[in-house]
Amino acid sequence: MIKQINKISRRRFLKAAGLAAGGLHFSLAPSGVLGAPGRVGASNRLVIAHIGVGGMGMTHLANMIRFQKEDKVRVAAVCDVDDNRLEAAVENSGPNVMPYRDYRYILERKDIDAVVIATPDHWHAVQTVHSCQTGKHVYVEKPASVTVREGQAMVAAARENKVAVQVGAQARTAKGAWHTCRAIRNGIVGKVKRVSCWHYANPLDSKPVPDSPPPEGLDWDLWLGPLPWRPYNIRYQPAHFRWLLESGGGQIRDRGAHQFSTILWCMNADHQTSFSVEAKGRPPARGLWDCPVDMEVVYQFKNPDWTLEWGQPGNKVGQTEFGNVFWGDNGHLVLEWEGGYRPANPEAVNFKLPLGGEEVYRTDEYEDFNMNHKADWFKSIREGHLRPAVDIEIGHRTASLCNLGNLAYILGRKLVWDGEKQEVVGDSQANRLLSKPQRYPYVL
Amino acid sequence: MANPDIDDLIARIRNQDDTVNAPAWQSAETCGAPAVRPLTDLLSDPDVETARRAKRALYRIVRHAGRPGSEGEAKAVEDALVASLKSKESYVRRELIWMLSELATSSAVAPLAALLFDVQVREDARCALTRIPGDNAIKALRAALENTPADFRPALAESLRQRGEKVRGYPSRKLVPNAQTTVTPLLPREN
Repeated sequence: MIKQINKISRRRFLKAAGLAAGGLHFSLAPSGVLGAPGRVGASNRLVIAHIGVGGMGMTHLANMIRFQKEDKVRVAAVCDVDDNRLEAAVENSGPNVMPYRDYRYILERKDIDAVVIATPDHWHAVQTVHSCQTGKHVYVEKPASVTVREGQAMVAAARENKVAVQVGAQARTAKGAWHTCRAIRNGIVGKVKRVSCWHYANPLDSKPVPDSPPPEGLDWDLWLGPLPWRPYNIRYQPAHFRWLLESGGGQIRDRGAHQFSTILWCMNADHQTSFSVEAKGRPPARGLWDCPVDMEVVYQFKNPDWTLEWGQPGNKVGQTEFGNVFWGDNGHLVLEWEGGYRPANPEAVNFKLPLGGEEVYRTDEYEDFNMNHKADWFKSIREGHLRPAVDIEIGHRTASLCNLGNLAYILGRKLVWDGEKQEVVGDSQANRLLSKPQRYPYVL
Repeated sequence: MANPDIDDLIARIRNQDDTVNAPAWQSAETCGAPAVRPLTDLLSDPDVETARRAKRALYRIVRHAGRPGSEGEAKAVEDALVASLKSKESYVRRELIWMLSELATSSAVAPLAALLFDVQVREDARCALTRIPGDNAIKALRAALENTPADFRPALAESLRQRGEKVRGYPSRKLVPNAQTTVTPLLPREN
């Protein structure tokens, strides 16, 4: 409590003294002559800004401060629509880091090479596209997008502006998922025909509260951004956006984005973009949150044929809160969580690659997979190929699985997805819902 | 004319017992157009949860009616939603506009375009018209560009550009920052 009071007092003092950001500008040295091919500054240190510094955003900031200590980056700015969070980020990042409420000030700065976006999901696409358009490399939290059309715009923006966009489904640079991937790809359980996920339920807003004025320090209009305007309710923010279909999309778009990313990697199925999807769920009886409490989603892929099942609760085979099972001709292999915060099954860890077997790429600069995922992003910029482990194309395809699962649920019917054309076959309403018009000026 | 099925639906949605009201709104999709007006009336119910159940029932109707091969049903729901657009409550108008955005055809364009002059919901109406396919929606957006207040015109121009139209003037403001924080950076440490 004392710390909180001190923070507010300090902000009020500085505001009264006329030193608030916007009126005060650091004289920052530019990042230097941008070098080919990834446009890293002459010092070879990327200049980084963080957009969104709550929850996961603070983990990213801590990672980046560690990179800064290793002289690999310089953290130049932090941004959040909540001044309380912003103040905490400033305290954590040290002197010479400029705070902003509006991310577009960051995009105006020529000295900043790259941004880390960890805002609510409904902001991911707009901020990523704008960052690409202003020449910044992007690390964006998963899920990449809340609609398919947003994801397409993100891919296009990355390619048109020749920047690297890494999506934060970091299991693809984690040891646990890597052990599982090489074991599955090399036949540890034979040919896999089915992958099932289990996950605990989405929470219920069992004690709804009325709308209220937003808390001090929160810019509610900017928090909503692209979403239709509505009054503040504490069940939206902080952190509760996850339980709204229009924003967080529930666990299928949160953990699902991790698990599906890992599963597509293990199944070597990034190219399998067409599928059918059916979904059913139990809607919450009351409250603001509208994500289904329980949910079953089944995806059918063709050539090769396999089935992906999302289950809340699903068929829990492992020991922990969520995970998935690869069901093969010769048995099954469990992966707890998505291979990030949990190690692989010992069978996968001890798996010996057969003669002529397929080795799988893995960045392994750091034991901590959160660090490793960012190191992989830096590498893609440094080497100039601009295709990190979870390149935006992969992130978009993964988010499309999540988004189309939710779309099948809200429409209450089976959808047949043509991945090449990126449209639902024979369903004009479903195709209309592949995008959602955004509130001006928070548009793609 | 009284419809006992719809009356029963409304009564059950009004019921405060979740074991009664939840099965009612969660199976409302087949009630179709006749349920739209009574459910719209419930949107302004003083009990927030009753209004919320009505909204969710309406969305189920909209999404069921929009399924392939049910154009007649969808048109009936569209007409019923349009008929309710004159609600005095801006919250109700906003909800109906977004529902229409999911299934409306050209015939809903004129009533939605009229709402481009309604300050409380004009942004929602613009979004709906951006989403509704066909030339009529584009024509309505372009007409509004000439007649609406100047502060709204950049948003209309954005819609037209999203629909592939060329628009002179009205540069996009999407990259223009305007929100200032009161938080300040830490001062450099003294050695």
